[in-house]
Amino acid sequence: MSKIYSRALSPDELDRFGEELDALRARTLATLGQGDADYIRRIMAGVRWLGLGGRVMLMVGAILGGTVMPLLLWPLCILGTVLLGLSKILENMEVGHNVMHGQYDWMGDPALQGRSYEWDIVGTSDSWRKTHNYSHHTWTNVRGMDDDIGYGLLRIFPEQRWKPFYLMQPVVAVVFALLFEWGVALQDLRIGRWFAGKMKGRTLLKMTTPVAKKAGKQVLKDYLLFPLLAGPYFLPVLLGNVVANLIRNVWTYMIIFCGHFTADSEVFPKECVRNETRGHWYLRQLRGSSNLTGGRIMNLWSGNLSHQIEHHFYPDIPANRYAAMAVEVREICARYGQHYNTGSLPKQFGTVIWRILRHAFPSKPGPARPLIAAG
Amino acid sequence: METAIRRPNWLSRLNAVWAPPAVLDFWLSRLNPLWSWGHARARVIELHPEADGVTTLVLRPNRHFRGFRPGQHVTVGVEIDGVRYTRSYSASDMPRADGRIRITVKTVEGGKVGAFLQTIPVGSVLSLGQAFGELCVPDEPAPCLMLAAGSGITPLLSLVNAQAAAGFRRPVRLAYWARTRAQLVQAEALRAFASRHPNFKVHFMLTGEASQAADELEGRIEPRHLTTLLSGDEQAHVLACGSYGFVERVREVLGDRCLSFRAEAFSPPPRVIDASDQGHVRVTLLKSGQTLDIPRNKSLLEALEEQGVKPRHGCRMGICNTCACGKSSGATRHLHDRSVQHEPTQALRLCIQAAQSDLSLEL
Ligand code: FES
Repeated sequence: MSKIYSRALSPDELDRFGEELDALRARTLATLGQGDADYIRRIMAGVRWLGLGGRVMLMVGAILGGTVMPLLLWPLCILGTVLLGLSKILENMEVGHNVMHGQYDWMGDPALQGRSYEWDIVGTSDSWRKTHNYSHHTWTNVRGMDDDIGYGLLRIFPEQRWKPFYLMQPVVAVVFALLFEWGVALQDLRIGRWFAGKMKGRTLLKMTTPVAKKAGKQVLKDYLLFPLLAGPYFLPVLLGNVVANLIRNVWTYMIIFCGHFTADSEVFPKECVRNETRGHWYLRQLRGSSNLTGGRIMNLWSGNLSHQIEHHFYPDIPANRYAAMAVEVREICARYGQHYNTGSLPKQFGTVIWRILRHAFPSKPGPARPLIAAG
Repeated sequence: METAIRRPNWLSRLNAVWAPPAVLDFWLSRLNPLWSWGHARARVIELHPEADGVTTLVLRPNRHFRGFRPGQHVTVGVEIDGVRYTRSYSASDMPRADGRIRITVKTVEGGKVGAFLQTIPVGSVLSLGQAFGELCVPDEPAPCLMLAAGSGITPLLSLVNAQAAAGFRRPVRLAYWARTRAQLVQAEALRAFASRHPNFKVHFMLTGEASQAADELEGRIEPRHLTTLLSGDEQAHVLACGSYGFVERVREVLGDRCLSFRAEAFSPPPRVIDASDQGHVRVTLLKSGQTLDIPRNKSLLEALEEQGVKPRHGCRMGICNTCACGKSSGATRHLHDRSVQHEPTQALRLCIQAAQSDLSLEL
């Protein structure tokens, strides 16, 4: 399919664009039911079984490997680490992220409530609900309002002002990928504001307490309690837990960066959201987001963020519906002459890496691409 | 609604780090669907059809259920097509030594849960709330007159059973209104009590059929009934249970001809909806204890803010879920698609919902 270069829509077209997308939303909502409930419960079970399998494997590998069969040490521990990593990926993306958007609130199951769900990651759910569900989803890719643009650390778009600090960006980006969950945990604290003297130490401390508590719990669990179960053979278990968390960090980083920082994704100035209409909001979400191809496997392991566009249109619709909705969304976008940004993971992530490298150096924004046609 | 029992000791705290309650519950429920770390659940172990559209269920609760007193209700949660619905039912029997609870469920027109429970497979597991409700027989040993209409019989059955177990130490008289004979629940059991205990009398009051048996009377409650029902016992404790209209009528007819009067009214869920957005409703804020009058024509978030209440919010357009709060009763209308929602929920988005009827919110 040749690429469509998005054109600006007239206010009228914009309204109809929004109405069509709203209609798709209503049609989908009307069909939510047992199938969706079964889906999320199946995923939940997958998380638990993979987690149990991973932990048992690690434990057995460490103890057997340390005592009677040293040969088993590596294979079992590697397998255990991978399973544990997969369990964490599934929990964070398909369960945690989606449940916290309120996608399964309609079920009324206390274990799947968006407001109270707590996920298996060092950051607290509460701060995620604020930075992600509110700031990021409402102000997607709006400069100065969506903190997810470079997470206050990276310069991804030429519209961000260049500073010499960004020359280190290629290194910073790698470290950030490895420690991604910590980055997310600290994001809401805005430590930068404290450094700049814009926030009182007392305020920072108060905000830090819940974050520190949650992080402490996670560290205690993964790096102390579970390893200690293996007694003197704790080292491989500890290592397995560390690596599992790293695998999860790098994978989520890739998926998330592919969602908004690919070559064709756009950022918007603040003026853009003044008196924004529904259609305009949809259009902004579309132009700022990008998808990944790769079918069901990719959908599952990305928590359906392979359908970032659909997710941004419908953040509270169960993610297992995005793939089906995407067919119609694509068709609507094509009719309105809008580019539907999608591609394979290597291709999309390649363009992300290019952005990180390119904009480490001074760069100038291209010509403005307005959303609404003038006149 | 499920109720968690809190165990705030160091062991639980450590446990929660290894495996949070949700994780423990997952594994426990794999072993036995009834098991839970903190939630009350019950298994359906018997199902007895009683009358037209009325079925009695015998439930075996897990150890988190803390029991009930005769006359109290329990909240039962079932999942239908992926959605959890909760309804309260009175226990229709006194507490038993084996800890089982009997509830009697009637289908109301258009009622999802009642209909579902009529045919629920034996062995299914339900979620359970702790018992609540104040209806009881006063301690003071005066005669007691119980008046039930329709489903109002259930809590009174529980009280009658408890009195029977104690050998009816005071005169107890039960009048039970129904439209037809076929709608009477547990009529034979009640007659059996009456034939064994001189202290217990039962009257079946039929409003849609002619009376035949000696213990049957006709017509809606009116003063002439009281002459029969209060015969000789002018000073009785009176308990009444039925629809709102029934309870009000009893109050009127009875006047002050009793020692004490306790009543419990239930009304069927509202079925006719006024889809207009005119007028005001009364909103009860359960956490702050406030009651407010708010207009039906704007989002709950705006309406509450105008009254000086500041609920948490973010986007104000239904995306971020920040404004979600629990709604324990009442109907709301979605501002975009105008769909009306009656079910209690734990997550109502205030910014895109307007009040449809009186509401209680967890704010
Ligand atoms: S304020 Fe964001 S959903 Fe209501």
